[in-house]
Amino acid sequence: MSARRWTVTLLAALVALLTVAPLLWMLSVSFMAPGEAAQFPPPLLPADPSLDNYRTLFGSFGIGRFLANSILVSTLATILALLFTIPAGYAFAKLRFTGRDATFRLLVAALVVPGQIGMLPLFLELKAMGLVNSYAGALVPWLAGIFGIFLVRQYCLSIPDEMLEAARIDGASEGHILRRIVLPILTPIIVTLALFVFLGSWNDFMWPLIILADQQLYTLPVALAAMSREHVQDNELMMAGAVVTTLPVLILFLALQRFYLSGLLTGSVKG
Amino acid sequence: MAGLSIENARKSFGETQVLRGVSIEVADGEFAVIVGPSGCGKSTLLRAVAGLEELSEGRIVIGGRDVTDLPPSQRGIAMVFQSYALYPHLTVRENMAFGLKIAKATKAEVDAAVNRAAAILNIEPLLDRKPAALSGGQRQRVAIGRAIVRQPQIFLFDEPLSNLDADLRVRMRYEFAKLHRQLGTTTLYVTHDQVEAMTLADRIIVLRDGIIEQVGSPRDLYERPANIFVAQFLGTPRMNILNAVVADGDQARLDDGRSLALPALAAPIAPGTAVSVGIRPEDVRIGAAPGALPFTIGFVERLGGLATVHLQAAKDSEPIACQLRDDGSLREGETVAALLPPDRLHLFDADGGALRREVRE
Ligand SMILES: Nc1ncnc2c1ncn2[C@@H]1O[C@H](COP(=O)(O)OP(=O)(O)O)[C@@H](O)[C@H]1O
Ligand SMILES: [Mg+2]
Repeated sequence: MSARRWTVTLLAALVALLTVAPLLWMLSVSFMAPGEAAQFPPPLLPADPSLDNYRTLFGSFGIGRFLANSILVSTLATILALLFTIPAGYAFAKLRFTGRDATFRLLVAALVVPGQIGMLPLFLELKAMGLVNSYAGALVPWLAGIFGIFLVRQYCLSIPDEMLEAARIDGASEGHILRRIVLPILTPIIVTLALFVFLGSWNDFMWPLIILADQQLYTLPVALAAMSREHVQDNELMMAGAVVTTLPVLILFLALQRFYLSGLLTGSVKG
Repeated sequence: MAGLSIENARKSFGETQVLRGVSIEVADGEFAVIVGPSGCGKSTLLRAVAGLEELSEGRIVIGGRDVTDLPPSQRGIAMVFQSYALYPHLTVRENMAFGLKIAKATKAEVDAAVNRAAAILNIEPLLDRKPAALSGGQRQRVAIGRAIVRQPQIFLFDEPLSNLDADLRVRMRYEFAKLHRQLGTTTLYVTHDQVEAMTLADRIIVLRDGIIEQVGSPRDLYERPANIFVAQFLGTPRMNILNAVVADGDQARLDDGRSLALPALAAPIAPGTAVSVGIRPEDVRIGAAPGALPFTIGFVERLGGLATVHLQAAKDSEPIACQLRDDGSLREGETVAALLPPDRLHLFDADGGALRREVRE
């Protein structure tokens, strides 16, 4: 029993270490001098830690702008996604309308199609609408993620109909019911969903790369990729860029962990 | 306050007819109970009155106003659900105030209404708790409180006691009766439990498969059931039914060949007609008497004060339940004489409809 427990703990610690190690090394390398990380064997810690890489990033490279771009795009993506996903998921779960289940099945079936396949048609569509090279175009794929709708719908299914009916008898309009009854109950799942979308759009590389031509509009991943093409040799600078990209979402994730975990667990615990 | 009338209500879900022409009049201030086995359409009927379900056909009139096409909130009803359906993120006070706030009542009005309802139900100390911190019985009260606050013309209750344990159910039954006396609000109460129906109702409506079997006071239904279904649905243990064939001279021949004296009927039946003879367990008399028949005691269920004795004419014959005060003297396997008094018998025709007894005086 106890020996077994130790084994499990040990294994968990090992996995955790394996996961965290690259991140820690990334942090370490970002403080190294140019070329230092390329030595053999690679050093674990910088010989002479310095902030030079960060100075270059925020100075001549101007990463501040891309950071701001990323924050703007991800925040807008999150807000828009929630705005469309929550009412849609709720409607698919709880409102009666013709073709509800057929539509939903169609949506779920579309999940099977990899997102990349839709990118070219979407690009052409947006081009026709004149949205290429704008944040409006960059945000379109986030408007209503099928997975988000699915998630919200599943969670809404656990809300008893009688509760909504009680509210209807109390005179609440459908909008009022959504805001005053459903949203508060959905809080954990909303936080979870918001995190998913924020992370997803923050880390997204492909779509912004396709849709954003103007360098001034680049988000962090796209800007970093562009930078790596110019500075192929400069691993230390790249690592500093990676730190700037990872840190904000890591902090966000840790700050919301409490809600996030409860959001993932409630479904299963409540049955 | 107001009366309620349901006129020829029909409802189908796809092919299945759930309500097949139900008409009910509930007088102002009356406590009416719809009782019937599960799946007979009770909830559907109640939800139609509330406006949560649209009727395929028929009208709902509350206080002389046709509400058939009005939304739930404008019908002047309040409903208490089986699951209570409290809002989990709101306190008890907020739960009860929810409707009034939507109706834009002033804070003073809301507070007054909530406090009054809380006082009636003795839940003042719970007002600031969330539903998760309440017991089943307390949630039940809050759900009722939320209904009272609306000051409805009609209360609708859908099996409100079915989620409570037996002990609490008895207590809440008493409270429902008290509440009704205190408020005098017209009430339509739905249950599958005949004891609730018998104890609470001014009038019972027995529903089966979307059709009303009988309407009347609890006493009426118990004494003069219109058919075998009602006869057996009300009362525990349920009424014994014996198959018999009418013979000459107010006698019937039972399945086992023995004769049984019948009551005088309003319209005589031709000899040779098959009938069902019903007798309630408490009406069977054990002990020697003219007309008593010998039976073997198959099985005795002792409940403390009362015992149910299962009497058998022959080894494999259908037992007749007999309820009596338990003095501990009856033994399984013993042979006793038992009388089925003619004036306590119910007669039903081959279709299960009651044959009326001769009216004396
Ligand atoms: N929304 C619905 N769709 C299809 N069938 C339903 C629906 N609601 C109820 N029913 C059916 O109608 C019948 C009566 O249901 P209900 O009124 O809930 O019965 P009760 O409350 O008397 O137990 C049941 O057979 C049930 O399956
Ligand atoms: Mg029901």
